[in-house]
Amino acid sequence: MMLLAKAALGLGGTLILAGAYTMREGLIRIDVDEFRSGGSHVHMWVPAAAIPMAMHFVPSKHMRDASEQAREALPILHAFVKELKKYPDAEFVQIDDNDQHVRMRTHQGKLQIDVDAPDQKVYVLCPLSAIEDITSQLEEHAPGA
Amino acid sequence: MSDRNRGFFAKTALVATAVLVFSPPGALAQSTAAPASPSQSTASVSKDRWLHVRVISSDAKGETVRVNVPLELAEKVLPAINKHRLHDGKVRIDDAHVSDVDLRALVEAIRTTKDGEFVTVQSNDCDVRVAKLNNHLIVHVLDKENSKKSEIEIKVPMKVIDALFSAGTDELDLVAALHALSAQGDTELVSVKDHENTVRVWLDSKNFTD
Repeated sequence: MMLLAKAALGLGGTLILAGAYTMREGLIRIDVDEFRSGGSHVHMWVPAAAIPMAMHFVPSKHMRDASEQAREALPILHAFVKELKKYPDAEFVQIDDNDQHVRMRTHQGKLQIDVDAPDQKVYVLCPLSAIEDITSQLEEHAPGA
Repeated sequence: MSDRNRGFFAKTALVATAVLVFSPPGALAQSTAAPASPSQSTASVSKDRWLHVRVISSDAKGETVRVNVPLELAEKVLPAINKHRLHDGKVRIDDAHVSDVDLRALVEAIRTTKDGEFVTVQSNDCDVRVAKLNNHLIVHVLDKENSKKSEIEIKVPMKVIDALFSAGTDELDLVAALHALSAQGDTELVSVKDHENTVRVWLDSKNFTD
């Protein structure tokens, strides 16, 4: 019994540490619901730290391709996120009418985009540090970098 | 440790481990923010200068658009955009003579002249007034053509206009203009009112729109 308890403690402790490490940057949350026949429903919760980690295992060729495709946007995104981090809680865009609402804001170091329309609902929550990590890694793989 | 205590300890450890392992991940790392609501956004007044744009439409849909941009953010991001005429925070204009008007010379003339009214047009259709007052260029247009009047008022600090034209002969320096704007106090830059829309562009230190 004692041996089992020790094994459970060890396993549990390892899982907790691994979980805490993976969750240290929070979650990337993407929820998309299209209210039409055949509309897609995507609900994704991914630990933010897992994405840059996973990107290390992506073959260089694919990273170069992705970097090439995002070449024009990368410096803008990098500068944008770097500056956004200075404004931890701010509402940048707010559009409202009778049945649609769009919000873009930063909340506790995360970029939050919220679209609520009769035909679709989109909710994106992403830590700014994760976006910065991803753009940095893509920039590192840019041709000529 | 007695057998009874040992058993109790083992059971407690197992339960504690199970609770920790199966507890929601969000509870360990963060509480995921709920979808945004205006009341939730944290309002603050800081030394940062914010450019605000507000459009309120009075049509049936009742659309309201609010955009709040920190000037420093715009100053840093603009130079990163190199597309078409925009590069390094400057907009290239092919020729400073727009419609045969030498803009640079015009700006220089306005800058060096004393306060006063430069253009005053009054007609049945519209009233136009262009003036320089307290180092601000003021443009006021009142459209009376329709039964529903519309009114436009633009008020730009001269320092901002100077900065805008401070680049080469064929360029407008947007970053310099934003930098000059950030040195200004709270001010209303653009106000448009017509029967359908109200547009307001202003500058202050708040990160939210009233």
